[in-house]
Amino acid sequence: MKAKEFYHRLNPTWCKGCGLFGIFDAIKRAAAALDKEPEDLVIVTGIGCHGRLNNYFNAYGFHGLHGRTMPVAMGIKLVNPRLQVVAMSGDGDAYSIGLGHFVHALRKNIGLTYIVSDNRLFALTQGQASPTTDFGTVTLSTPLGSKEFPIDGPSLALAAGGTFIARGFSGEVANLAALIEHGMKHDGFALIDILSPCVTHNKVNTYDWYREHIVHVQDLPGYDPKDRAKAWEALSNTEKLAVGLIYEEAKPSFEELVLPDKERPIASLDLKVDVSRLRKIMDRFR
Amino acid sequence: MIKDLAVMIAGKAGDGVLFTGNVLARLLKRHGWEIVTSRDFPSNIRGESTCYTIRASRDKIYGLSDHVNILLAFDCEAILAHLPEIAEHGIVFCDGQGLTEPLPEQARGKTFHRFALRAFAREQFGQEIFKNTMALGALSYVLDIDTSLVEGIISEMFLKRKGEEVVRKNVEAARFGYEKAREITSETERHPLTRKADEDRILISGDEAIGLGALAAGCRYFAAYPICPASEIWQWLVYYLPDFGGVVVQTEDELAALNMTLGASFAGARAMTSTSGPGASLMMEAFSLAGMAEIPAVIAHVQRLGPATGMPTKSQQGDVLQWIFGSHGEFPRIVLSPGTVGECFDLTVGAFNLAEKYQCPVILLTELDMGQDYRTARAFDFSSVVIDRGKLLSPDQLLGMADFKRYEITPDGISPRALPSWKKGIHLAESLEHDERGYRDEDPLNRRRMMDKRMRKLDHASPDLPGPRTWGCQKAEVGFIGFGSTLGAILEAMEQLRLKGVPSRFLQLRTLWPFPAAEVREFLAESRDVFIVEHNFSGQLATLIKSQVSPCAELKNILNYSTRPFMPREIVEPVLRSRR
Repeated sequence: MKAKEFYHRLNPTWCKGCGLFGIFDAIKRAAAALDKEPEDLVIVTGIGCHGRLNNYFNAYGFHGLHGRTMPVAMGIKLVNPRLQVVAMSGDGDAYSIGLGHFVHALRKNIGLTYIVSDNRLFALTQGQASPTTDFGTVTLSTPLGSKEFPIDGPSLALAAGGTFIARGFSGEVANLAALIEHGMKHDGFALIDILSPCVTHNKVNTYDWYREHIVHVQDLPGYDPKDRAKAWEALSNTEKLAVGLIYEEAKPSFEELVLPDKERPIASLDLKVDVSRLRKIMDRFR
Repeated sequence: MIKDLAVMIAGKAGDGVLFTGNVLARLLKRHGWEIVTSRDFPSNIRGESTCYTIRASRDKIYGLSDHVNILLAFDCEAILAHLPEIAEHGIVFCDGQGLTEPLPEQARGKTFHRFALRAFAREQFGQEIFKNTMALGALSYVLDIDTSLVEGIISEMFLKRKGEEVVRKNVEAARFGYEKAREITSETERHPLTRKADEDRILISGDEAIGLGALAAGCRYFAAYPICPASEIWQWLVYYLPDFGGVVVQTEDELAALNMTLGASFAGARAMTSTSGPGASLMMEAFSLAGMAEIPAVIAHVQRLGPATGMPTKSQQGDVLQWIFGSHGEFPRIVLSPGTVGECFDLTVGAFNLAEKYQCPVILLTELDMGQDYRTARAFDFSSVVIDRGKLLSPDQLLGMADFKRYEITPDGISPRALPSWKKGIHLAESLEHDERGYRDEDPLNRRRMMDKRMRKLDHASPDLPGPRTWGCQKAEVGFIGFGSTLGAILEAMEQLRLKGVPSRFLQLRTLWPFPAAEVREFLAESRDVFIVEHNFSGQLATLIKSQVSPCAELKNILNYSTRPFMPREIVEPVLRSRR
């Protein structure tokens, strides 16, 4: 097994105490636990504080546009399904500007691990309301309090046919690493939504606040992540936020369904021009 | 002897105009003639007027003529709409009622026959749908096409999908149509076309030619969102890419289509997307990312009439400047514009090589007229297809390198490329300004060096870019400049002008960006009157020329922003007027 330090490129410059440190650590631990070569790991990030992760992580990376992690990551995965593709977004990236892509990635059940770091606001742009900001919250963009009701990523994922839905807390790195590791092994799309405090702009949803407001699903009597009804019930509790593996289901992955041969990745195809075969195809136009 | 002729099939959407037109075009092609087709369809599945024009010629043609010699209409409304286009001695077949007597003034000199296709089809074959093959039979009589060709094509179309019984009934319907046409028309009304050898040619649309070009060029990943008139590229490739180990993916929108194309290309595929109209606007976002992260990508944009949703089934050239100057920030891009279906194939192959050699987005800019209409072309030469992946390393080369830097600053601005999973190739494709390894870097000096590096990539690209092509008389005073599907109308207009004693020449631009300023400057210097022919309102090419060639001679615009492609006379008339 590799040491987690193997994946460490640079020390991050996030604000001291930022939840992203825990997430960074958890991803490294998960990669180490799976003994991934850094060359076989591609991390696709969006725009926001989380997007700096590529600079700190020793792996192939794609830091694209705001909200567009999903299509980029899908393109990579389909061209080389042997790669471990981990996409990462913030709540703005995933649930605001990238919401459409998120739902369709779930629908396709493509083999990606999607880590969404949710700090309940736009932090990099100094603290505006995001889709997960609580109703009534005063932010830079909502001086009179947010007039929109928040949405919940895991609930959306369950409704959209997600096959691996988990929620972690960046204050519990060991649990989080285990969830990410599990998600990386999942055959299909894995969402790991992470409750992650922003120590600079969010003075309400702090580490302590989360500790008081989370419940681990494994502590719920008779909880079974294969039971959709139980998953709905756990997600419906807005007083106590369900954390852990909320739902899991086996469904064929998109790459399994659409790729002609998973053992011959598109990335390594020989592109030589097959003249006689092409001529035969052209004959249809005669 | 007839050397050139146009047939129009008209009716309401849902009448089978497209089917009948497509089959007749193929018949005439197999009869050995050169073909150009044009379809005029509403953005609607049923009920509104549609027409399909086929021009056939013994000699090579590129565009439509001004007239129609034979009109077969499934309803009479269509006749009135197209009466002015029907040539002297033209012949018209019309199904149904409504051709009122006396006929309008414009009907003089033309023969009209009522031909109750629908009723015959119902009576003889039990279903109206047989009117289409009946119409083909009738036209094959008038045009004197071998029945064996007609029956061969019917069998090809129906045998596999529908079985022998359907073939038999359609063959009978065609024979019935043939006999009926013989009954109702006199020998002198026929337009017999002498058969020619159908040499090594194909009949293909621009969209299909792009699909075939992509397949030959090693495109193995195609992502797109449905949009008229670009979907045909995808709908064609979807049948073939999997057999070549590739995949076609339908995305949720065009934002995803281009981003996914970039992801696929980053991972090592030759990847492509296609779009039109509003889809192109959505792609503007990731277009810039391709420029910044230096990711090869081919984007086929089949232009339709805008702005906004505009008219999705009508052609236009209104999106030229969008790709040349569009998106946020400055980055290198290549914009190609094929003028023939053969060039659709060649330029697509070239686009993939250019994208990888220069590590930038390449736009294949065509129009609905080019994309959806059929034209004959010499069979494509696959043996001349070369795949050049530029500075893409091999895993072994990478291992032998002392220090791999994905965005290494090089004299030509182009850096070595490695793919995920390759040892010693780790890097970041970064949308932020970055250093030579791809990591974020806000240093002002680095910014200048990286910007200079990216922007100089195309400085010496011109030998690799499809150059302008000159048509016509070398010393002519009258010059045309245009691009894309207006080529056909321009060449027709030049022929008409020649017959009127006005020689002319034409500079066909095949690369719109980087702009071929030297060739255009030279052409302008050698011509007395230059007309810029464009299928748009504002003269985007003329604007481009004026911005790139300075000082610039006076340019005259010949513009058409209507729903129909240019007719040759629409180019001839302004030229003659300006010479009075």
